[in-house]
Amino acid sequence: MDLTLDLAAQLTWTGLASSSSYCLFALAFALVLKVNRIWNFAQAGLMVVAYFAMFIAFRWLGLPPVVGAIFGAVVTILAGMALEYWGFRVLRQRNSSVLTFFIFTIALSQFLIYVAELTFGTDPKTLFPSIIAPVRLIGPVVVSDWDLIALSVTVMLVAALWLFLRKTREGKALIAVSDQPELAEMYGMNKDRAYLVAMALAAILMSAGMYLIGTKAAIFPATPLSQFMIFAVIATIIGGIGNIFAAGVAGVFLALLQSFSILVIASKWQILLLYILIFVVIVLFPQGVTLKFSKRGPARKAGHLPSADDSTEKAP
Amino acid sequence: MTEFLLTLAILAGINVLLACGFNLILGYGGLVSVAQPVFYAIGAYSSALISMKLGVPVPLAMILGALIAAIASIGLSLPSLRVSGDYLVIASMGFQLGIVHIINNVEITGAASGLSGIVSAVESPSRSMIYAVILMCICAVTIFAIRWLVTGPYGRAITAMRNDEDVFASLGRDAVRIKVTLFAVGSGLAGLAGGLYAHYFLFLTPDQYGIFSSATLLTMVVVGGAATVRGPVLGAIFLTVLPEAIRFLDLPIAVMAPLQGALFTGLVILFLFVKPEGLFGGKAGGGLDAWQGRDTGGSGRKGVK
Repeated sequence: MDLTLDLAAQLTWTGLASSSSYCLFALAFALVLKVNRIWNFAQAGLMVVAYFAMFIAFRWLGLPPVVGAIFGAVVTILAGMALEYWGFRVLRQRNSSVLTFFIFTIALSQFLIYVAELTFGTDPKTLFPSIIAPVRLIGPVVVSDWDLIALSVTVMLVAALWLFLRKTREGKALIAVSDQPELAEMYGMNKDRAYLVAMALAAILMSAGMYLIGTKAAIFPATPLSQFMIFAVIATIIGGIGNIFAAGVAGVFLALLQSFSILVIASKWQILLLYILIFVVIVLFPQGVTLKFSKRGPARKAGHLPSADDSTEKAP
Repeated sequence: MTEFLLTLAILAGINVLLACGFNLILGYGGLVSVAQPVFYAIGAYSSALISMKLGVPVPLAMILGALIAAIASIGLSLPSLRVSGDYLVIASMGFQLGIVHIINNVEITGAASGLSGIVSAVESPSRSMIYAVILMCICAVTIFAIRWLVTGPYGRAITAMRNDEDVFASLGRDAVRIKVTLFAVGSGLAGLAGGLYAHYFLFLTPDQYGIFSSATLLTMVVVGGAATVRGPVLGAIFLTVLPEAIRFLDLPIAVMAPLQGALFTGLVILFLFVKPEGLFGGKAGGGLDAWQGRDTGGSGRKGVK
């Protein structure tokens, strides 16, 4: 396939639009990894909870889109906080090993997938009976309403998360706990509360992502584990563990890479690229692919509280 | 009924081999890889294809499959020299998913539809009985060999390396060789288990070797009691047999599979919280907390060498 300017524009737009949910999943995963210090593979299970809570809201209860989406987010927030309170907290108090967390999170995801299969069946499902979105031609690029909604929702949520982490007391406490939990506690911050807040924020991000996915395509109960979460893990690694917003950017980059890779490789091999990336990046760049900036960008700033060094730099 | 019980015994035996091999890497070596099912897959597909395409006798094909799995383990043991803890878990996951994806998409393995027409290891009216006896013998030899290995001088060297690699290396001992050997032996056992599976069940599908199978195998080892000889053996038998109990309910397959899965994962979660020291490992034996206080403490920040 030859790459013309029109095709490049279309692939970029499609890649950007479809990156929206991946970006949100990556942010959710990176946030929990940074604050709670857990590779939360149970995120796939929480995505299943979000999806089927919205499925019940839309398809069984007939709730309007906004109300149904809020219902899904609330259920997922409660599930996420319950997971932190009755799961992670207990294991953390026992000083459990990384394997315990791995087994627990994977087993919980799989458990929730099985429960969803028992309850809703194993066939793929969309959130609404019809998922056809109106399209328009802007120059050479086909733009759908779904693309615009997905990008708007993502930009708003990313901005809200950035503001929350940078401007609110609760957000700053979150970052403080993620940097030094014991020190943060000495300064009167409640780390257990921070862990719960991080899970709640992650739940909102993943609910929004699942809403966007379910209004565009049908998914199987197992899709979040086999596909979306793996994507989030890779984005988190590429972004550099600990850099929340860089993980979101990596999510967008990966979606674009996937979008353009159809020019050179068959679609069935695209996912293999991601697996190779996991392996190569973690072995060659275990601290993430970091770019050297003379000044910290807003995304990187949001991931750090001002330190003594920063104050020194800013001093006249 | 007898056939069902024999098949269950064979499956349990195969899982015992898998768990024993994994225990060497994970329990004794402290190398937290999750990719063991991929060596199981490599052994199963290699053995099946070698016997099908080249006409090699099945026992020799099984040995070759195990050797190929052992050699393939170098692909994972090399990263273990550079990263550990969380990082090794994630790298091994990438390795596993990549290989399974390739198996899932190439023609020679039958791709997603699976590989059928595999040569049977035993042609006899008492096929299952003969196979079960052979497998029990292989399991017994493996268990005694592992017991001999880990209780001898080499076993003490492995434990010393696991407990403090820096001190171990400073005494002039070669940690690299031990790691590569552990991966090769553990993966070779997984490859042998794969061959044994392939030539009895005669059908392979890539779905068997995904991330969930890693969690299942980890559970058998860790909930059974990692870094002990008997823990993974009993864990594998217990966790193979238990979910099969609901087969007697005679439910439709669409309900049976997820119900079995929910039962299994539910049990795993229950064990994690109720018996974290392992079902058979004992308080001091290992189990889930075998790595407590090591650099794998779940922070996600350590483990780069």
